[in-house]
Amino acid sequence: MITCTGCSLLCDDIDVVIENHRIKEVRNACRRGAAKLKGCRNRLRPSIDQTPADIDTSIKRAALILKNARSPMLYGWSNSTCEAQSNGIKLAKKLNAIIDDTSSFCQGLLIEKVLKKKFRACSLDDVKNKADVLVYWGSDAQDSQPRHLSRFSYFPRGESRQRGYEEDRIAIAIDVRESNTAKICKGHFYRIPLKGDREFILSLTGALSGKVPKHDAKRILELADIMKKAEFGAIFVGIGLTYSIKDDVDILVALGDMLPNFHILPMVGHYNMRGFNEALFKETGFVNRVRFDSTAVHENKYAIVEALKQKSIDALLVTGSDPLSCLPGSMISYLASIPVICIDPCVTLTSKISKITIPSAVSGIESGGSAVRMDGKVIELSGIVENNYLADTEILSRIMEEL
Amino acid sequence: MPTVMELYKLLPKTNCKKCGESTCMAFAVALLSRKKKVSECTPIIEEMFKKDREKLESLLLPSSGAGETGMIVHTELCTGCSNCVVACPVDVANDPRGAGTGGAPTNDKVIFRVVDGKVVASNIKECRRFGKNRVLCYACIDPCPTGAIEFV
Amino acid sequence: MGIDVGKFLKSPEFEIAITTYRDIFQVEALEYDRFGEEYRKLSAVIIMSREDMKKMGIKTGDRVKLINDHGSIVVEARESKREEPGGIAFMVNSPWSSALVSDDTGGKGIPEFKNITARISLTKNDISSLENLIFNSGEVEKNER
Ligand code: SF4
Repeated sequence: MITCTGCSLLCDDIDVVIENHRIKEVRNACRRGAAKLKGCRNRLRPSIDQTPADIDTSIKRAALILKNARSPMLYGWSNSTCEAQSNGIKLAKKLNAIIDDTSSFCQGLLIEKVLKKKFRACSLDDVKNKADVLVYWGSDAQDSQPRHLSRFSYFPRGESRQRGYEEDRIAIAIDVRESNTAKICKGHFYRIPLKGDREFILSLTGALSGKVPKHDAKRILELADIMKKAEFGAIFVGIGLTYSIKDDVDILVALGDMLPNFHILPMVGHYNMRGFNEALFKETGFVNRVRFDSTAVHENKYAIVEALKQKSIDALLVTGSDPLSCLPGSMISYLASIPVICIDPCVTLTSKISKITIPSAVSGIESGGSAVRMDGKVIELSGIVENNYLADTEILSRIMEEL
Repeated sequence: MPTVMELYKLLPKTNCKKCGESTCMAFAVALLSRKKKVSECTPIIEEMFKKDREKLESLLLPSSGAGETGMIVHTELCTGCSNCVVACPVDVANDPRGAGTGGAPTNDKVIFRVVDGKVVASNIKECRRFGKNRVLCYACIDPCPTGAIEFV
Repeated sequence: MGIDVGKFLKSPEFEIAITTYRDIFQVEALEYDRFGEEYRKLSAVIIMSREDMKKMGIKTGDRVKLINDHGSIVVEARESKREEPGGIAFMVNSPWSSALVSDDTGGKGIPEFKNITARISLTKNDISSLENLIFNSGEVEKNER
């Protein structure tokens, strides 16, 4: 049995058939997980200035670039093991570098609230055993965390939910789009306009305190009623909701406070984004966007997007992410103009413009370690496929030694 | 049952002969009569034909086991989410601690399991839609948002 | 580049609101080969409601140019298979949709990935290639300045 690193559910009930150092068949993982476990088609090779090099020289050159940079940034981390992440934080300290991760423009805002205990949280196992009302808000779990509904929320039988989902649970979707998750929620799908989340929260909090909403009164009152009567409720906050209320996250805290039986769980995509947030939080009190100097300083200008926009960094180490494939297109030209060091198992868009590339083992498959599930539970990763690649953890250690 | 033409349309139509037949049309006929397997067409294993391959495999499913009882799994639509595995009352009864509680099946008695990210049906005789106490069960169809399971 | 100016001028432009989403089949293609044909096919697409398409004279399979202050791309238009109220179009998260996302975040570091506005028009140009998006974005920007 191995752990899937396809998403932050870290399903640990996966069986695989291995042949010639490659996974040939995957059982029990979803389509997303099976693709991740079977691996990419193009493995990365070590290179300097886009010409092949040996890995030792690549590592030495990477260390040199970081050492000589005035303002280096270490970025990525959401597809790295906890061990690699803690090495990354060490490296950032040693270099007085900026460190940031993908949560910077994803769920970081909410994870911070969770770690600061601003939301009532619970584990996914609690959801399975107790929850009767499930609210997917701005989240299409079916496509992003495909086994969320079957393993933990809607479909499984749990300790106090023994009779099956039709009788025991209600699933609700609030979204701009009729997603696959919304389709499952059928009669309980609330379609909202783009950026309409804030207003919907206000109507809902109004309805919870007895005020009749201006729009769609009947359905919103009905929703408020279901939520009030819940024995154990969960709101799964997707990136759709987070983006929409990013300037006023406290409005969600206020909603949580009005619903004493509800728990708020941010939906995380990449398998170990939460691991990075927890590690940095423990070290500095911040979940991302930190610069180490004599102390750890947290500022928005240390966010990857701002740092690139303001052209304030002069070297970038990327691991466990492919920023070129997800950042706004207009940032690519600056990114391509500074020395980028890319550590990844696969050829990525970022590796194509990198000065140094260093191939790593696929974490969770070719190298082991641990990761933090979206609800905070630590899950062991198995390194089951034999290989000659260095683990990302080792690569970072070797860069540190070279400094 | 699919027609020869339906199968042919999904093949590469290059008459490359790698399958041992002289034309893709001949291979389609062989597929239909089950003398050949989809995997014997080596070009179709390549990524660019992936959707076609999955479509072909699901078209051919009806007479290969599961289909005897009318269930069709449209593999190309399946996301492997396991909703059906967990919701099927037969799976819950036969594997209460595994599939029934949302986990991977722990024995061979379940109807649904997920292989390579797509659902595969077996033990189809156990399905509540068949046998003498049959009921019109929708337990695997209802939780599937992509319409990957169908009874014909 | 071979832009057919005459054709381009003739096709009317419409304002369009776009939001992004995730599609498991596209994520699967990304894991397997982010430079592959399958990933491009599933990414370089805009999904629109039937009414919007009718209003704008766009049919499924047509190539459309999407342009705003941040970038410009060519993708394929497709009619939504779902019930849609209209007024909003959908693209999966990918370098194609990201080309249209502003890097101005008001200093807060979170771009508006899910809240894009652009102008849409029919085009005869080829669908933007990944290479185009990565390697030419800089040049295009420079030329414009
Ligand atoms: S739900 Fe996530 S962790 Fe589970 S099998 Fe799918 S991709 Fe892997």
